[in-house]
Amino acid sequence: MSERLGFDHVTKIFEAPGSDTGFVAFDDITLEASPSEFLAIVGPSGCGKSTLLKMAAGLMPPTRGRVLLDGKPVFDPPPGVVYLFQQYAKSLFAWRTVIDNVMFPLEAAPRSQRNELREKCRDYLKQVGLSGFEDSYPWQLSGGMQQRVAIARALAADPQVLLLDEPFSAVDALTRMELQSLVLQLWERRKFTAILVTHDVEEAIFLADRVAVLGAKPTALKEIIDVGLPRPRDQLTTREDPRFLKLRHHLTSLLLARNPAHVAAV
Amino acid sequence: MSQRSEVYRTSLLGLLSPAIVLSVWESAGALGWINPILLPRPSQIVWSLVELVADGAVFPPLLYTIALFVVGYAIASILGIAIGVAMATSETLYGLLEPLVEILRPIPKSALVPVLFLFLGIGKTTMITVVVLAAVFPVLISTFQGVRGLDPVLLETARTFQVSRMRTIFSIILPASLPMILAGMRVALGLGLVLVILAEMLAGEDGIGFRILDLQRAFQIREMFAWIFVLVALGGGLMMLFDLIERTLVPWRGKT
Ligand SMILES: Nc1ncnc2c1ncn2[C@@H]1O[C@H](COP(=O)(O)OP(=O)(O)OP(=O)(O)O)[C@@H](O)[C@H]1O
Ligand SMILES: [Mg+2]
Repeated sequence: MSERLGFDHVTKIFEAPGSDTGFVAFDDITLEASPSEFLAIVGPSGCGKSTLLKMAAGLMPPTRGRVLLDGKPVFDPPPGVVYLFQQYAKSLFAWRTVIDNVMFPLEAAPRSQRNELREKCRDYLKQVGLSGFEDSYPWQLSGGMQQRVAIARALAADPQVLLLDEPFSAVDALTRMELQSLVLQLWERRKFTAILVTHDVEEAIFLADRVAVLGAKPTALKEIIDVGLPRPRDQLTTREDPRFLKLRHHLTSLLLARNPAHVAAV
Repeated sequence: MSQRSEVYRTSLLGLLSPAIVLSVWESAGALGWINPILLPRPSQIVWSLVELVADGAVFPPLLYTIALFVVGYAIASILGIAIGVAMATSETLYGLLEPLVEILRPIPKSALVPVLFLFLGIGKTTMITVVVLAAVFPVLISTFQGVRGLDPVLLETARTFQVSRMRTIFSIILPASLPMILAGMRVALGLGLVLVILAEMLAGEDGIGFRILDLQRAFQIREMFAWIFVLVALGGGLMMLFDLIERTLVPWRGKT
């Protein structure tokens, strides 16, 4: 098997008060991402996107089925899988400076390597455009800058798989585009597997190689679409590409649960 | 700049009400409305206080009380934090300790003072135990609530970086719940001080509480009030020190 991260017939049922059957978050999902692939998962709010990603991170076990990392089942959070939270402000450590936040994943390393690793972290901060803010505290930074700190910290953990849970949904439109381009650049440089969950169709197309579409309840995989847009992608030209617009049309109508053929014929 | 003048304005306002009380008290005394033997005027008390400080008599009892209090308070804080974290992070320990805590917590700790004298005798151990009993519960409860109330995202972040349980506790759980821990320690500060004075009054050998009761029995009312002023200053000083420490330790409070 060549895939890096796979969902193998995964079902998640939450215990629901007053119901013996429980609440089926999603049913029988099979999906995989190959190394160095950028996979996006789109779906309406509440369809279980975060749940799916948490299972990929080993934070939550599936009710049925398996999550596989390089062919091995995931139980606990495995090394090399890093989660970028939507609530970046809550994921950062307010009592630590920016550089110490980024250092966090590296602190198990022997003391003799500390200085060298610190330099590395400075470099990660530079890569996300935060040079000069090493000694600030997260709460002194803007939302977009805080998410950059979280990205730098993710880089410090040297991810094989980066899981992105709507990481740009809480920042303004301009910052969102900047952060999207930043993540693309880093992904192209580091070639980790990226799995992005979003309800923003354009974001999914802009970033991903493939887009998986989840339907509304009971959630199942509706379709997987190859994006096929050339790289490197550009916020202006890529978004104006006729193929981009066509994909957007198709995905949006899928999410709106209309018949795409019908919409196209109008 | 404006924030700063705000701070000055509120602290000046805070000084206003004690100033009014003191001046009413002073004028009532000067006008002969109150019996100067039972309630001397603040200006007279201040003179006794100045004497106390000038001849150094204030220091041994003051330091005695401070020492008892600080030792008890430190033990209570460490115990409260440790038990609070343990109960919040382990279901077993929660099940084990919760009933005991719920039984002991509502008991007014002053009621336990005579019992403790019975078992531990009169002495420093008893005094310190009294302070510990009074101060441990607010710290414990606040710590517990602080840890239980932590955002899951924070703990999930730690898990995704494969942080060990011990390191999660020391480098994430404790600092993240520090604002709540300190809130409990602030309540404990007041309670601990009250109880150390009370214990000194009931069966102390020295200390501010002992002095106050002793002077009352000797009918040296002015000196007694001077010691009460010392006590007020001690309480105020400890609170100010606490504010300072809190501001240094949690500069992010209210900002995340
Ligand atoms: N721990 C839980 N216990 C019970 N139900 C849960 C739990 N976590 C999530 N759910 C339910 O599962 C469903 C999917 O939740 P999830 O957070 O994965 O959705 P989502 O697609 O990420 O939504 P959004 O786009 O709003 O973030 C929701 O209906 C939610 O109520
Ligand atoms: Mg979500």
